[in-house]
Amino acid sequence: MVYTQKSSALFIIGLAMLAIWYTADAGLLSGYIEHLGGEKYKYLPELITIPIYFGILSVVIGAWQWFGSHKEGHWDYYSSTVAGAMFILFIAMLVRWFVAPEVAVISTGMGEVGDTGKHLHKLLGLNYVVLGILAGIIVVNFFKVPEWAANGVRLSRLGLKTGVILLGTLYSAAELKNLGGLSIVMIGFFVLGSVGMVLWLGSRMKIPNSMGGVLSAGMGVCGVSATVASAPVVQAKSVEIAYTIGTILLWGVGCMFVFPIIGNLLGMSYVQFGAWAGTGILNSAQVAGAALAYQPDGIETLKVAEIFNITRVLVLPIIVLWLAVWYVRREENVTHQVNVGTVIFEKFPVFVIGFILMFALSTTGIFAPPNHYKGKFFGNTAETGFKDEKLLKGDQIATLQSESGSVQRADRKEALQRLIDNGKVMTIEDDDTLRGLANAKVMSKDANKILKGAHKAVRHTAKKVKAFRKWITWLFAFGLVGLGMQITVSSMRQAGGQPAVIGGIVGFIKAALSLVVVMMLISETI
Amino acid sequence: MNPPKKVLLASHGTDGAQAAERLAISLCATDGKINHLLVVPDLWKGMMGDDWLNNGITRDRYARYLESELGREVDEHSRRVQDMAASNNLGYSLQLVLGKPDKCLVDACCNANYDLVVMGSPRPKGVSGLRSRMTLEPLVRGLAIPLLIAPHPNG
Repeated sequence: MVYTQKSSALFIIGLAMLAIWYTADAGLLSGYIEHLGGEKYKYLPELITIPIYFGILSVVIGAWQWFGSHKEGHWDYYSSTVAGAMFILFIAMLVRWFVAPEVAVISTGMGEVGDTGKHLHKLLGLNYVVLGILAGIIVVNFFKVPEWAANGVRLSRLGLKTGVILLGTLYSAAELKNLGGLSIVMIGFFVLGSVGMVLWLGSRMKIPNSMGGVLSAGMGVCGVSATVASAPVVQAKSVEIAYTIGTILLWGVGCMFVFPIIGNLLGMSYVQFGAWAGTGILNSAQVAGAALAYQPDGIETLKVAEIFNITRVLVLPIIVLWLAVWYVRREENVTHQVNVGTVIFEKFPVFVIGFILMFALSTTGIFAPPNHYKGKFFGNTAETGFKDEKLLKGDQIATLQSESGSVQRADRKEALQRLIDNGKVMTIEDDDTLRGLANAKVMSKDANKILKGAHKAVRHTAKKVKAFRKWITWLFAFGLVGLGMQITVSSMRQAGGQPAVIGGIVGFIKAALSLVVVMMLISETI
Repeated sequence: MNPPKKVLLASHGTDGAQAAERLAISLCATDGKINHLLVVPDLWKGMMGDDWLNNGITRDRYARYLESELGREVDEHSRRVQDMAASNNLGYSLQLVLGKPDKCLVDACCNANYDLVVMGSPRPKGVSGLRSRMTLEPLVRGLAIPLLIAPHPNG
């Protein structure tokens, strides 16, 4: 079978990308960019670089796909994925550069919502990530994914897995140790708790063992992925699979929108929100979506949330094994034996090895000096890269001074006072403390902006690390738009019956309880 | 009206569809034939959801398992109707398609000459089951032959 379709689609996508690049580079978009925020519009550097590379690539491959002849083989299969991948990327570009800023302009024009002090788009987390997933959902449900794009849409999984692998470069050993320990405790408690609760509720409501098994994996571990992994093991019926996946998708998509709103209203720090999303949201794709929705222009929340996701997926083979043994013991007519080695080997997430490998490589200093995270890139003297014009101005000091009364914690008070006295952050410890203060959102938006500026003045990021951050952001945006194209309303409509009731109860308790635990036990920084 | 000789039966094994099976068998002329249209709803295409954590082996195993489950259900429904047709000396053929139920039914009618189409009623409210129903409007607009809807046994 020849997979590559003779279609003009990829060629046209390439031309459209080149048109974006040309109009931005020639200044033809300056009026529109002014409308989108003028100097505040931060995507201009991307507009004049990214579309030209991918535009040329798409035009060249697109022309070959359109006019060339294609034969069966590996190359044919790989080339058939390019059009779909560029289709997703093009949607991600449009949403990130134009749709999300336009939504922000409209929302800002509508004024702040009540006394929340936030505009609607900030409150609802309507940024390029959420809008990108929505765009994917709209494409698949209202227009259908075009035939020529179908193979490439599957590459979204590769994008997300590559994003997670690259994320390994951005953790310090201390971060990984602290976050890893925290996630093992949280995930261990909530996964085992929710699996056990679904099985208990299921037996009370007398649902079949196969339905209880598949639902408990989905609700407890990592949503649809756990359902896919466990359905054959517990011999779930087709309708039970449909109920479970429908319930999880509906709940997961809902959580992706609701969690950032609650996080904003409670003023949660990035670490707190990442831990909560990583524990409370059932479906792993929506964990990443919610984390990026909460912090679209930084990856601190994503870093925390993904550690929780990785812990979950590492727990998955154990839970599948447990369910397999549980099911075989409960069903008299099941005669097959559970092969522990096969289950563990087949379900082991290989990409996690890539993540660990990248983390190990980063500690050798291949991407940034090994002591990058220990503060080598901290400099508050002229010799270490600090420029005098970066010192806080009089009005900025006055703002911090006037709001210092709202800071309660002694260590924060002291660090803030040293910043006020010196006009710059004096030590690495002060920098960490002040970052925690900014993330906690105790002070006003203006004051937090000043704190972030003071942090940037002394803390420098290695070029390679900066580049990784950009790549990771794009890989996740690409992956999540593509995953949006795999969320069908017809599958979500299958949510119902007893699984919906059990799922609703367990999902709500898990989300609420994990929120309480996170707010009580987790501080603003790691 | 003479009893129909060529009956297109749209059934996928629910209680309402089984009522349609019985009605179609009882109405068909003695030397007639039942063409059983069994639609596997295209909602199953979305039943991999947005899974991205699993590796290829796990995804393939799941896809094969789901396919075999759906196949087992198809065999079960087909065998039941085939047995009923045989015991009434009627011919039987199965047409298995993937898609939207109403569209598939209209397409099946366009591609062959039938005397009658028989289908079941939707399940009563509160009864659980897959949400994949025939939409009546496109059906009645698209069909050029009589359509008979069997009442639901619990309706």
